[in-house]
Amino acid sequence: MRRIESQIDTNAADYKANYAAMSERLKEFHARQHAARFERPQRDIDRLARQNKLGVRERLKLLLDPGTPFLEFSTLAACREYDGVVPGAAVVTGIGIVQGREVAIHANDASVKGGAWYPHTVKKVVRLLDVALENRLPVVHICDSAGGFLPLQHGVFPDRYLGGRVFRNQVKLSQANIPQIAVVGGHCTAGGAYVPTLSDYNIIIEGTGAIFLGGPPLVKAATGEEVGVQELGGAVMHTSVSGTGDYRAATEQHAFSLAREIVGQWKRTPKTIIETAAYEEPYYDPEELYGIIPKDRKTQFDMREVLARIVDGSRFHEYQPDYGTTMVCGFAHIWGYKVGILANNGVLFNDSSLKAAHFMQLCNQNRTPLVFFQNITGYMVGREYEERGIAKDGAKMLMAQGGSVVPKFTVIANASYGAGNYGMCGRAWDARTLFMWPQAEIGVMGADQAANTMADVKIRQLQREGKELTEEEIAAIREPVLEKYKRDVEAYTSTSELWDDGILDPADTRNALGMSISASLNAPIDDPHYGIFRL
Amino acid sequence: MQRIFQIDGEETECWLGHDGSRFVLNTPNGTVACQLDPTGLPGGYTLRAKGVVRELRLAVGPEATFVHMNGRTYEVGRVDPAERLAGSDGGTGDDRLVAPMPGVVVSVAVKPGDTVEEGQPLLVIESMKLETTLTAPRDGVVAEMPFAEGDSFGLKDILAQLAPEEE
Repeated sequence: MRRIESQIDTNAADYKANYAAMSERLKEFHARQHAARFERPQRDIDRLARQNKLGVRERLKLLLDPGTPFLEFSTLAACREYDGVVPGAAVVTGIGIVQGREVAIHANDASVKGGAWYPHTVKKVVRLLDVALENRLPVVHICDSAGGFLPLQHGVFPDRYLGGRVFRNQVKLSQANIPQIAVVGGHCTAGGAYVPTLSDYNIIIEGTGAIFLGGPPLVKAATGEEVGVQELGGAVMHTSVSGTGDYRAATEQHAFSLAREIVGQWKRTPKTIIETAAYEEPYYDPEELYGIIPKDRKTQFDMREVLARIVDGSRFHEYQPDYGTTMVCGFAHIWGYKVGILANNGVLFNDSSLKAAHFMQLCNQNRTPLVFFQNITGYMVGREYEERGIAKDGAKMLMAQGGSVVPKFTVIANASYGAGNYGMCGRAWDARTLFMWPQAEIGVMGADQAANTMADVKIRQLQREGKELTEEEIAAIREPVLEKYKRDVEAYTSTSELWDDGILDPADTRNALGMSISASLNAPIDDPHYGIFRL
Repeated sequence: MQRIFQIDGEETECWLGHDGSRFVLNTPNGTVACQLDPTGLPGGYTLRAKGVVRELRLAVGPEATFVHMNGRTYEVGRVDPAERLAGSDGGTGDDRLVAPMPGVVVSVAVKPGDTVEEGQPLLVIESMKLETTLTAPRDGVVAEMPFAEGDSFGLKDILAQLAPEEE
């Protein structure tokens, strides 16, 4: 496969300005990520120490194979909710390596609100268990939760994808013969009691771990019975009397070494075989991406320059290089895995949509996973394009994309507006993982267009009522709408709301994709089949 | 043109095949049977071809293989024919910049009479929320810039025209 020849001049003024702007953004991003992971009020740190419990990051260190990568999801979940006081939505999720095998990890963070379940906590856990189901990954649950956050119970409990879905997914995992283990390092109360009890294996840490449907205060209120935590649901009682617990551990260290032993003896299913090549680092430095991504989102850039800093050896076999040129399609390897890449080099026209649909069919036919790099402002509009059937050609692209059986992965590299987000495998389209770059935006349209549209509606309404508006009055309507919309389309809003699996430093994208692809091969790939293409 | 090797800078076309019992090197001048056996030394091999036996050492890199034989080191570079042959179908640049889609001119960087180099920005257009810089397709002199800043244009309108090249 041939190497992409980069046209980037790293001494150019544009490059340097972009590099500086991206470096500034990344400084903020890494600081926010560090805070979400490690910075806690002193009283919460003291409380954990008093309870003789390790923090969630120390627990992960005990669980995971030393020196192996941990692909953490949605570190900044809920960063724009609850006044920012529930970092990471009080839970850590991701894919890690235990005894040489990939596992999905769901770990409560008891240093945040006692590990309580907020609405965004539930969303994050359900997403993790969906990842486990789609990729057939065994699950390790590390339970330490105060239970559902009662003031927001309506956002935690009743709906289809809320609390019940956690347990429903556990049942589906078990049914699909995907093993689960729970380490109980704190209280599992009420619904939380079902996390360890629906797992095939569970370990309770003596002294700190406990499982019960109702804790001591609730029992007292309900029946008047007075009972302590240990007699009601401690490690000794559950592992010797009720059979609710399987193993009891003397210490946290003991618990995680037991967990590792158990994971190590699980049956290993061979991974799905796809085309591979010898691993090769990109020829061009991935950090050059900082200078390639324009500081002004509206400025066009060549996605091949991006691909050259992500794929193995910067090698790319471009498919149909001279047709539908706003859609770059081609083959490359990431971590040695062969992938089919679709990347936007402009608006989607009729020809570029057809090219994408055709290329995706090709990849499904030869079992090549798909990677989407989004920088899409939409499908082309206007009479000329409607007459050529742009909506029909877009539908073909959606049919091929949504009907794909190979694993799909999405990187929102810059703009993700409107139906372009759908065609390019946005959140609703089951990408195995979907990541955003920090400057990227997602919304039904760009901020200016949206603000103008919303302001126009308001202005026309006032005009119908006979009011004439001055320039200042129009600006007064438009500006607040624009400010709010600008914030709503930012990557931080997306990641706060779990519309993605996390924001990435662009230079880390290659590794995040490599891990995602590797994990996806735990699941088989079906034979290709589609719905009806509107030809 | 299945494969191009460069031995110490000199190009040769050949292809290693197998006739069922041994390796054969196919060259433009015919085929040569050959055999390569490891000696147990790091990178050490015994080469047998045309009745000659040679001890040699091999080091394989991403772009080239180094062969040490008879007290000399040869660099054998591998050239990808697809790479070598690419670009030979490019042809010369067009005189015109044609609008890839309808849009608005954001800024114009040159005026008629200006001398420009290939790749130099001529104008910036905006369409579908994206700003695209259009550059000179070749070295030349600007003949016409039909649209000014703020003007709208249609699909396939000519956005810039270079003066014809003098032969």
